[in-house]
Amino acid sequence: MLRGISLPLCAAALGLAVVAAPLGGRAQADDVTLEVWSHEADQPAKVAFRELAARNVEKAHPGVKVKITWYEKNPMLAALKSALPAGKGPDAFYLEPGFVEYITAGYVIPLDDLIDWNNIEPWARKVWIHGGKTYGVPQEAYTNEIYYDKDALKKLGIELPASGQFTQAQFLDVVKKTKAAGMTPIAQGVGDRPFPGAYVVGEALLRKLGPDDYLRLFTGKLSFADPRVAEVLKWTKEVVDAGAYPKNFMTLKLGESHYYFYLKPGALMLPMGSWYTGRAFVPEDKGGQPANFPLGVMQFPAMDGGACNECKTSAVGASFVINAATKHKDLAAAFLNAMSTPEMGKMWIETIYLQTGIKADVKNFSGPHAAYFTELMERQKGAKYFIGAPQDLTTGECKDAFAQVLNSGFPGGLLSVDQAVQMMNKSCYKG
Amino acid sequence: MQPRLAPLRRVPLAAFALFYTIVSGGPFLWVAVMSLRTTAEIFKNPYGPPSPAHWEKFTDAWDKSNYHTYFWNSVVVVTIAVVLVTVIGAMAAHCLARYRFRGSRLVRFLILSGLVLPPQLLILALFQILLDIHLYNTLTGLIVVYVATHIAMTVYILEGFFAQIPQDLFDAAKMDGYSDLEIFWRITMPVGAPAIFTTVTLNFIILWNEFLFAVVLLTDDDKRTLPLGIMHFMGSHQLDVGMVATGLMIAIVPVLLIYGFFSETMIKGMTAGAVR
Amino acid sequence: MSGLSRRLRGILGNAAATDARAASLGLLLMFLAPALLFYAGFAVYPVLRTFYNSFHAIRPQGVVEFVGIGNFRSILFADPTFWKAVGNTALFTVIATLVDVFGGLLLALCLFARAPSAGLLRVIWFTPVLMSYVVVGVIWVWIYDYDWGLANAILHWIGLGAYEQSWLGHPSTALWSVMGAHIWKWLGFNMIVFLAALYALPGEVLGAAELDNCGWVAKLFYIIIPMLRATIVNLLVLSFIGKMMVFDLVWIMTGGGPLWSTETVSTYVYKRAFDWNTFDLGYPSAIAVLWFVIILAFIAIMTRLLRQRDRLEF
Repeated sequence: MLRGISLPLCAAALGLAVVAAPLGGRAQADDVTLEVWSHEADQPAKVAFRELAARNVEKAHPGVKVKITWYEKNPMLAALKSALPAGKGPDAFYLEPGFVEYITAGYVIPLDDLIDWNNIEPWARKVWIHGGKTYGVPQEAYTNEIYYDKDALKKLGIELPASGQFTQAQFLDVVKKTKAAGMTPIAQGVGDRPFPGAYVVGEALLRKLGPDDYLRLFTGKLSFADPRVAEVLKWTKEVVDAGAYPKNFMTLKLGESHYYFYLKPGALMLPMGSWYTGRAFVPEDKGGQPANFPLGVMQFPAMDGGACNECKTSAVGASFVINAATKHKDLAAAFLNAMSTPEMGKMWIETIYLQTGIKADVKNFSGPHAAYFTELMERQKGAKYFIGAPQDLTTGECKDAFAQVLNSGFPGGLLSVDQAVQMMNKSCYKG
Repeated sequence: MQPRLAPLRRVPLAAFALFYTIVSGGPFLWVAVMSLRTTAEIFKNPYGPPSPAHWEKFTDAWDKSNYHTYFWNSVVVVTIAVVLVTVIGAMAAHCLARYRFRGSRLVRFLILSGLVLPPQLLILALFQILLDIHLYNTLTGLIVVYVATHIAMTVYILEGFFAQIPQDLFDAAKMDGYSDLEIFWRITMPVGAPAIFTTVTLNFIILWNEFLFAVVLLTDDDKRTLPLGIMHFMGSHQLDVGMVATGLMIAIVPVLLIYGFFSETMIKGMTAGAVR
Repeated sequence: MSGLSRRLRGILGNAAATDARAASLGLLLMFLAPALLFYAGFAVYPVLRTFYNSFHAIRPQGVVEFVGIGNFRSILFADPTFWKAVGNTALFTVIATLVDVFGGLLLALCLFARAPSAGLLRVIWFTPVLMSYVVVGVIWVWIYDYDWGLANAILHWIGLGAYEQSWLGHPSTALWSVMGAHIWKWLGFNMIVFLAALYALPGEVLGAAELDNCGWVAKLFYIIIPMLRATIVNLLVLSFIGKMMVFDLVWIMTGGGPLWSTETVSTYVYKRAFDWNTFDLGYPSAIAVLWFVIILAFIAIMTRLLRQRDRLEF
């Protein structure tokens, strides 16, 4: 009897694979299924947007099914990084411009002849051009802004200049006054992101250096020991030492920093990409901002002797690319095109309250957050955009140093200006 | 026979027990309380009581967030994987511990070395293998990978324990006319029960919470397992702490019940002398 | 003690004649084949693949280039982050392993000594083991939070407000804080393993000790610990491996920060493999291989040292 137990078990173990394989295999019908992987599963407005485009493709191509699998970003990247080298993966997938390795490795294809580029803003397309070819369709665009509590600023007796921009001395003064009034000046945290802590110093560097030298700085061609950089770091250090950031800066997560800003305990400012709305404009019981919150938008401060104080960072976020291994290239392109029509662009702005790389003519803007969007557009007037954020410009060791030093150690008050310069140069500056 | 302590000595013991109960159970209690509160309530006061208690969060998670699918997938995958890995591992461990043969050192070394490479790197090659044998994106594939990646630890723990079983027992069994398989099944397995209990518990818990392989090797939503389900609420966008806590309780409570019951039976069995 | 050890020997039995341990090839295969098959199919190939990668660099467009020991040379001589990670991991491993194993033994002895309501405590003390790393991470990040965290609240409450700090936010406390959370999660596991082993001890031995009128402490050191030696060695090795490869909790709680103060070898490997904008697995594979060799060497030494004495005694 005992002999009868173990052997079948072994056999079962070995045979399991063989027997179960047909059960697990995907049903192959004549119909085509287009597989798409997308991040941002937790943003209902974006889910609705992309699912609508999928349904539109299905309507236009009978017999075609567009299946979007929703992920969170890191799990999705883990899945992509194993699937693509094996020649697998979805037909089309979500990607951001910073992930250049997918292009250099040859895992995504040029889209120049596949996409209707008339529907896409040229500046947004430029982000995805490498070696003269375009590899991604930009969808989400954003600018870096400082969100602030209008009532709190009024209470401090400070008035924002008409330009929406303080000088660097005024900004430092605002920080000090806020702190003296017992409020946290800037509700920022780096608990789960490699960039928010560097908003203030990064934007200051852009304004001080101007776009060209700023780009050189983050691509290893300009030293962090440059006197202009040192000046900016010195000013940032003063802001940090004035108690600008919360005590739990190091562990405060992105979502929590929003909550910290508009609800508890409340803070004067929150520098953030304009995708701020994705977290803030949801119902209060889901962690959104209170309905009556006096939200304002200000520019990052102007630097003394800044080369480009009207500069601001604009960047492309969510984009879509096509897998080089796909068997349905045209269908995948059809899906990407379906997400990029002017009507879809309008829907993006009206439901997500965010800029987009899709050409969309939205003059008569309405909706519950119309006032906010008007103010956001106000802050764009006369702005000179620098396209690309440091976390997208840097790679490898320099990217790591940016995350650890400029994003966390330096604004966290752990490093002196000299130490920060030295650490950044060691990892980034190529002489 | 258990040691007895003088009543006086029991006071510090009880004090320590109380202290560690708070340390270990406190956070669990905290999560349990949070599972009945909404995220907004938790942010307002992280340590507040669950009033009103939002029991509906459990049905929400179960029905709307597809938790029932994830839960049963996890049950199927983990149960089969743990049974397989235990039986297969015990056989190998028995063999290594019982018999002297050439190459046993090599086998032991090979198996041990499997413990020591980061799964984050192994997964790329595993992915390729599963593709080749058409088990990518199947629960079977995940089971096979789980068994393969946990055999090393299982064999290691069991072998160490089996080697301690007195040879007398086996000699006696042999004299009674037991075959080699019977010896394995009737002597090693029951006598090694504490070690088997250990590996079953450990494997079960690790696999029940396993995330990396599951996310990379399964793509369909209806094949996902519980840890991926919890991840739904841990969006990079919004950390829905309240729902994470609810999801966690759904995942933990069955395991806790099984463990509570199982460990009680085990220990009763062992103290009753059933082992010998 | 000599009377005791004689009695022990009687109970446990001497190593028997060697021929009882001989086995035919068929028998060996029957027992080993399933494990080896799974193992060969799904673990050996990935391992070999990692070794292969460690001697190569993967350039853009998937071009694989043989670089010999180039990767290893860079790691050993030109990578301060790696050495920082090694230092952190070593500290983490030594402290956390010792606390985990001997703390677990202490807890098990508490329950074994019939602490009040031991049955319930056995379940409660085990609950941390049941939680996934993700959740343990979230909970402990909150506990360590400067503003609303429990750690600071308690310090404040017992009048040690001066020690309040951002536990995970400063390089001098971050590693210890993560270690605390890790130990908290695994203590319960070591406890139940010891408990199972304690209950499996032959009652005659403990009874004999009682007859010899041994004190509690003497009993612990002269009888219980020596008899648990195999369990202790096993747990030390397991814990050692687990800690040398510690990844999830660190990744979730600090991501290696602030300023690399919690960077471990595994988080560094992961970063190099997946966060450095590259599909080049050469360098991270080389780190993994190097670490693999180091861990195996340590295990060989540990088991040899600890097991040898075991043999001598009986």
